Amino acid sequence: MIGASVAVVATLALAGCGLGAGTKPERVSLLVTQGFGAQTVLDKAAPKVVGADTVMRMLERNAKVGTRYSGGFVESIGGLSGGGGSDWFYYVNGVQAGKGAADTKLHSGDHVWWDRHDWAATQTIPAVVGSFPEPFTDGYGGKRLPLVIECTQTAAKSCRGVEDEFTGLKLVASLGCLLCSQYNESLPVLVGPYATLTAAPAALKLEGPVSSSGVYARFEDGGRKLALLDQRGRVVRTAGAGAGLVAATRYRGQPPTWFVTGTNAAGVAAAVQAFNTQTLDGHFAVAVIGDAAIPLPDSEP
Amino acid sequence: MTYLLRASPLHAARASVAAAYCASLVTAAFLSPHPLVLGVLALLILCAGLMCGVGSRVARSLWFSLPMGVAIVLVNALVAREGLTVLVRLGDGGPLGQLDITLESLAFGAKEALVLIVIVAVAALASAVIDPDEVLRSLRRVSFRSALTATIATRMMPLLALDARRIGDAQRCRPRPAGRLAVMRAITANALDRSLDVAATLEVRGYGSARRPARAVRARSRHDLAFAVSAVAIVVLAAAWPAPFAYYPTIAGSFDASAFAHAGALGLAALAPFAQRRGISR
Repeated sequence: MIGASVAVVATLALAGCGLGAGTKPERVSLLVTQGFGAQTVLDKAAPKVVGADTVMRMLERNAKVGTRYSGGFVESIGGLSGGGGSDWFYYVNGVQAGKGAADTKLHSGDHVWWDRHDWAATQTIPAVVGSFPEPFTDGYGGKRLPLVIECTQTAAKSCRGVEDEFTGLKLVASLGCLLCSQYNESLPVLVGPYATLTAAPAALKLEGPVSSSGVYARFEDGGRKLALLDQRGRVVRTAGAGAGLVAATRYRGQPPTWFVTGTNAAGVAAAVQAFNTQTLDGHFAVAVIGDAAIPLPDSEP
Repeated sequence: MTYLLRASPLHAARASVAAAYCASLVTAAFLSPHPLVLGVLALLILCAGLMCGVGSRVARSLWFSLPMGVAIVLVNALVAREGLTVLVRLGDGGPLGQLDITLESLAFGAKEALVLIVIVAVAALASAVIDPDEVLRSLRRVSFRSALTATIATRMMPLLALDARRIGDAQRCRPRPAGRLAVMRAITANALDRSLDVAATLEVRGYGSARRPARAVRARSRHDLAFAVSAVAIVVLAAAWPAPFAYYPTIAGSFDASAFAHAGALGLAALAPFAQRRGISR
């Protein structure tokens, strides 16, 4: 009888059950923006967190939130309401969660990013780069994954440049050739001209529409051109040689795949220059044309 | 639940006024989020029932609605995703998501349960003090056919119950009593026969050619006036002077003098008409 009771209590504890608020996660941050990160509404490096909060509860503790459907759907944050083709979406460590904010538990190191944006082009943006160095530092869903840099030319300067960036962040990265990783569960960063990356299934998404990749840019003409899209998925401008892209997407529920790529080697070099916390911070993806880092979706004609 | 004729001010008021009085109590329950006000409303209805001589019936309805209230509290605690004060963590509930029971969801569920209790109590009070025939008489000028249909329908359930009792008694007198199904079959056949009789009678009496009846003139009594004023006062008090109380994301509200004054004013408005007992037939 005592043994059965102990077993039941242990099972409940392992399932996350218990009395009270639970254990508080550490190093949590909160960012609230609108227009794909264009305008910051709230930025808290150390938001108020009590116990085992969910993403929703943490947001409610730190901002004025209006909800619907018994608190399962965010209607407004700080008086900015959704509707009319725009709504609030959230990303934890740069990954769009597959469930509601009220059901997503916070973990230590989580960077929670709420953004109100137009979903005319797509409602699903599986991964964004604006939380860098997350998810490489703390993983996502409370699970850290090994970091793998996959380069088409491992000796190339661009490949070393990406590795150096991670080294500067005190992150250990495994360097290898494209699709050579032995890890089934890893966070891959694919580095190289886009035309050389297409063997990777996730890379093919970057040729498709926004609704497929969640990236407001697409490679055309076999990777020789990069078309930048606006928030409704329309082509704003098309760049040729020397254009770079830093973006992330997911393929069939696998961990997010990051791309540091371009239309050619010069484009990749430009993308490597943009691959840092300052340039990527608060952006869904970043294109580089010439010396200019352009946050995506593009707004300039 | 049937109408009980008693010597009380609310029984003496015309049916439309009594109905408005009952509706005002329900309106106040919907407009007031404060648990003190809702609790006072439930007590007021019980007091009104006692002063009308139907207190036991209202009390029975309160007792009856308690399990439903408990169910509402439990369901809301499991379903609601709101509230910041976590009391119990039940982990991942599969399709139900993250099951965290919060103090706020329990409190909000209790408030919803109180609203339900008030509604059920008002329904019990209304069924006991409002003469249904009078209500139907007042409605027949608006829609004669609907009023007639409602009249027949409202009499159907008690009639069927009476039939069941009568046939059941007769069945039990037999050496081998028939089962419930046989009784049900007899009642159904009887009801169908009776409906044909009713239809034939209506046809013979010229139901189809009925005209709008003349207005029945009845002088307004002091009770009509008192309960009408009371109903208006209750709604105005609840709408214009609400006692604020928020449940989400955290409980925000107090049991201060203002809340007690609001509840007291509602009590005064609701019970004052019962002080006037002149002209009540005993």
